[in-house]
Amino acid sequence: MRVLKIVLLAGVIAGASITGAMAAGGGGGGGMSSMPSDTGPRYDPAEEYAKAIRAIQEKDYKAAARSAQRVADAAPKSLDGWKLLGVAQAGAENWKGAKRAYERAFKLAPEDETVRGGLGLALAKLQDAKAQEQLDWLKARAASCTSNCATLRSLAADVEKAMTPAGATGASAALEHSGLIFSADAGDRAYVQAVGLINEKRYDEALASLDAARAAFGPHPDILTYQGYTWRKKGQFDRAEGYYRQALAIAPDHRGATEYYGELKVERGDMTGARQMLAKLDASCAYGCAEAEELRRWIDAGGEPGL
Amino acid sequence: MDRRRRRTGALAGLALAAAGFLAAATAAEVAQPLQALHWVTPDADPVATFASQPTECLHTPADPAAAQAVEVGRAAFRTPLLLGGQAARVSLTCESCHRSGRGNPEFQFPGASGAPGTADVTLSLFSSHRGNGVHDPRPIPDLSGPRDRLKVAPDQLPAFIRGLIVEEFDGREPPPAVLAGLAAYVRALSPGACPAEARAPLRPATLLADARRALTAADRAYAAGDRPTAILMVAAARARLGLIDERYKALPAEVARLRAADTRLTALQQAMREGRADASTDLARWLRHSRRLEAALAAREAASLFNPTRLKAAANRRLLPKPT
Repeated sequence: MRVLKIVLLAGVIAGASITGAMAAGGGGGGGMSSMPSDTGPRYDPAEEYAKAIRAIQEKDYKAAARSAQRVADAAPKSLDGWKLLGVAQAGAENWKGAKRAYERAFKLAPEDETVRGGLGLALAKLQDAKAQEQLDWLKARAASCTSNCATLRSLAADVEKAMTPAGATGASAALEHSGLIFSADAGDRAYVQAVGLINEKRYDEALASLDAARAAFGPHPDILTYQGYTWRKKGQFDRAEGYYRQALAIAPDHRGATEYYGELKVERGDMTGARQMLAKLDASCAYGCAEAEELRRWIDAGGEPGL
Repeated sequence: MDRRRRRTGALAGLALAAAGFLAAATAAEVAQPLQALHWVTPDADPVATFASQPTECLHTPADPAAAQAVEVGRAAFRTPLLLGGQAARVSLTCESCHRSGRGNPEFQFPGASGAPGTADVTLSLFSSHRGNGVHDPRPIPDLSGPRDRLKVAPDQLPAFIRGLIVEEFDGREPPPAVLAGLAAYVRALSPGACPAEARAPLRPATLLADARRALTAADRAYAAGDRPTAILMVAAARARLGLIDERYKALPAEVARLRAADTRLTALQQAMREGRADASTDLARWLRHSRRLEAALAAREAASLFNPTRLKAAANRRLLPKPT
């Protein structure tokens, strides 16, 4: 799989680089000029996500788990990070680790079938009676499923098998291949399609495409920014804010996230907050940038310009 | 085939996608030293394409007001902030497709182009108005070519250009003087005004001269009370400094000078927003100082990517073997 190439649209352009914001790696050096958490290794979750995907493809589950753990640590609100960690731990047959990962994922998305399947499998492998609850949920969902039901049924069958003495070993192919997109090209296409759909104001379809892109690339700030943008356009400001904050946690100088978060603040009437976002853009945009100018228009107009 | 299926087919065919288009952004993926290298064919020779540029076929009117309109249009033509949406965010300008007001036979924007020198102008990726769900790139015309080959009559240019800005690229409504200026600029391009040499070396002095012309237009617009136009002209000047900066990335002292010059232009824009009387004085001072900046840049030009040898090494492109 080629290295993640998606970038721009959300507006990163020429500015906030993921690597600039993160990576750099290593630190330390002692002294008390900063806290240990400031100087420890930092990782780019999107890059680590790609590494974990590659490792899973190569069946190197321990390496996958290391990278996936970094994703989850760097972006703890990323469902995909926890799911990826769950798959990696399950592949490594570290069922306690898989259970912990899926429990975190469950808190974020209790209706996600692959999360239910992963959690059920881990519980079954640990001979935890709570696996039955997940199996019942999967079976009930499968019974009412009318399309694209194969994965759901495979997950239910894998959990059921794992609950028997004969199924005590081995991972789940269904789990490994569901919910993860191994092709960067497919992720690219999903991302670009999402941007077009947003421009066409087909927001629900755009969200589905962004989900697909996220499954390929993990918690990438561009994707998170567009998820925030789309939820904002759907009127769900709190949800939008959550995505913007996730994007900025990963890439603090992300231009698109900063602009759109500033616009959200304008829509909420928080003009002070919006001006802070604009000041941040003005400071980071050498030679000017569209993101700063657009947010300036929003602030001047007290809302979306031209409306 | 319904619209949705056509879209999917088109997108699948655009090996694109995110690749170059998106790639323009993060440093991790920016393998190219010049942003515009993302928008040309993979086998384009960086030296042949970017160490020089086409000469401009511009007939400058004698009438001062008409000349000011052309200068406003010329600067706006070269600033990404004229366009909106994704185009502005990746720093595309009119000039990206029409280098020096000509065409751009090397242009190939992932997802938006087909053959080199084409662009899909009805793409949802850029436009919330004109997306048609079909990948239908068209040849980019040479704006300085014969008039009868252009599809738009001179008197229809303002409406046509407004449609490009506002609908094709999702830009905001341009100030009236900018729209009129763009039409005046395009009208002033003419095959009869083409210099003898088809191309000229691209140097920092070339881009700084553009910046000075934009600022002179800004000064006149500001004096006429047209703040929005003046501010956009300053933005055009800043964008030119940015194009110099990317070729001096390895030279921190020169980058610092450029950043300082840009900071003064940022302050100038703010002064114009506030309608301050001293904005013109600041602008005149910047123009004077720009001569020192130019001299400093020229002194280190050989070490920058304005030097074709260094540009070639930095681009590190695998060129297709030339036919023997």
